[in-house]
Amino acid sequence: MTNLFTQFATTEKASGDIFTSLGIDGQMLLFQVVAFLILVFILSKFVFPPLMKAVDDRQEAIEAGTKAAEAAEKKAEEAQEELAKLLKEARAEAKEIVATAKDEANAMIATSEEKAKSRAEKIVKDAHEQLEKDVIAARKALHNDMIELVALATEKVVGNAVSKDIDKKIIADAVKENA
Amino acid sequence: MFQQFAASEIEIHVGAGTLFHIGNFPVTNSMLTQLLSLVLMFVAFGYVVSKVKKRKYNRFVGLAQWAFEGMLGQVYDVVPDKAVARKIAPLALSIFFVMLFGYWMSVLPGLDSIKWNGVPVLRAVNADLNFTFAVAIIVFFTVQYLALRAHGPIGSLKRYFRNPIKDPIGSFEGILEFIGEFSRYAALSVRMFGNAFAGEILLVILAVLTGFVSVIALPPFMAFELFIGFVQAYVFFILTVIFTSLAIESHGDHHDQITSRDHSPADSHNKTAASTE
Repeated sequence: MTNLFTQFATTEKASGDIFTSLGIDGQMLLFQVVAFLILVFILSKFVFPPLMKAVDDRQEAIEAGTKAAEAAEKKAEEAQEELAKLLKEARAEAKEIVATAKDEANAMIATSEEKAKSRAEKIVKDAHEQLEKDVIAARKALHNDMIELVALATEKVVGNAVSKDIDKKIIADAVKENA
Repeated sequence: MFQQFAASEIEIHVGAGTLFHIGNFPVTNSMLTQLLSLVLMFVAFGYVVSKVKKRKYNRFVGLAQWAFEGMLGQVYDVVPDKAVARKIAPLALSIFFVMLFGYWMSVLPGLDSIKWNGVPVLRAVNADLNFTFAVAIIVFFTVQYLALRAHGPIGSLKRYFRNPIKDPIGSFEGILEFIGEFSRYAALSVRMFGNAFAGEILLVILAVLTGFVSVIALPPFMAFELFIGFVQAYVFFILTVIFTSLAIESHGDHHDQITSRDHSPADSHNKTAASTE
């Protein structure tokens, strides 16, 4: 086995153990161990933390996003419920308002009807009174006209024999009789 | 053609080549390429992090962020304990990105042709056993530490050593686990090394074999290397996470999980059946 390696490593020392043949040297090995440890220290101190932080931040952002989405969904559900509640209340209120309006309208109509009735009655009453007054006035006028007419007629028949007072008395009696 | 191949004298080195010394310390070609890969990685990360901090995303930043998030998610999926997952994640992610950038350096042009004192200057760090072995050792100790934290010293020992009279099968299983503990980390490092090393050799040999046609012949193989680099880096990463998950999961937990998995669908089915009835 050693021959095989030494055969390959022709330019290395022809004789020596397997480690020397493979180029393994204690000093170099130690150097590489120390160098690699320093390298790991530098990388884990200066390079990986910001990258890990970025990974963590992204993870946090994703989690926060998920949480926010869940919260938004919950809020939307609550808003929906609130909306449904408000809608229900509004409907009930509207119903009440309509009912009140109907009642008020009915009351108004009733009042108006009452007013109209009383007014109509008043108008009818006034008309009756006016009519009666007119009839009385017409009668009075007719009465006066008739007296004048009878006086004239009597004057024509009787002539000037009767005095004015007698004449008037006769006429009044005649009218009384006629009435 | 074969004469040409032989004439070009391809030198294959299993170990990384030393370019120069700083004091007594040898600086190898794989270290130099690793430095280049790290510079590129930090430039890319610097750009991504600065953009992420400003929350200015474009396609590249989005891709990097997506990859990072996916890998992190996998760590959390595989390791059941979130606290342990948070501890192992930086190491596992570092392994993935360092391995990925390191591997991708093997497609740089001039892999074997640019030489310094006769040694190729470029060599992917993943094709250096020192590096892959070092990372496997770190993973091994980290996993053992996390297992010790999860089960305590006696609990950890019980993973390997059990009473052979009371539980003969479990005792044998423990020995296998003990051997497996070493073999799996050896395999982890050698797997990465083997792929990267073979990939480099493949590209070098193809370049030599195809000569001037290599301009057309190499790109598909380079793209393939990029893909293999991603796969190998991912394998190293996911195995690290799986080893951690296995180590912190006690025998009892495992049994519980299996039984709960076996029973829960049937139980839920019965429950739904009962509720529908």
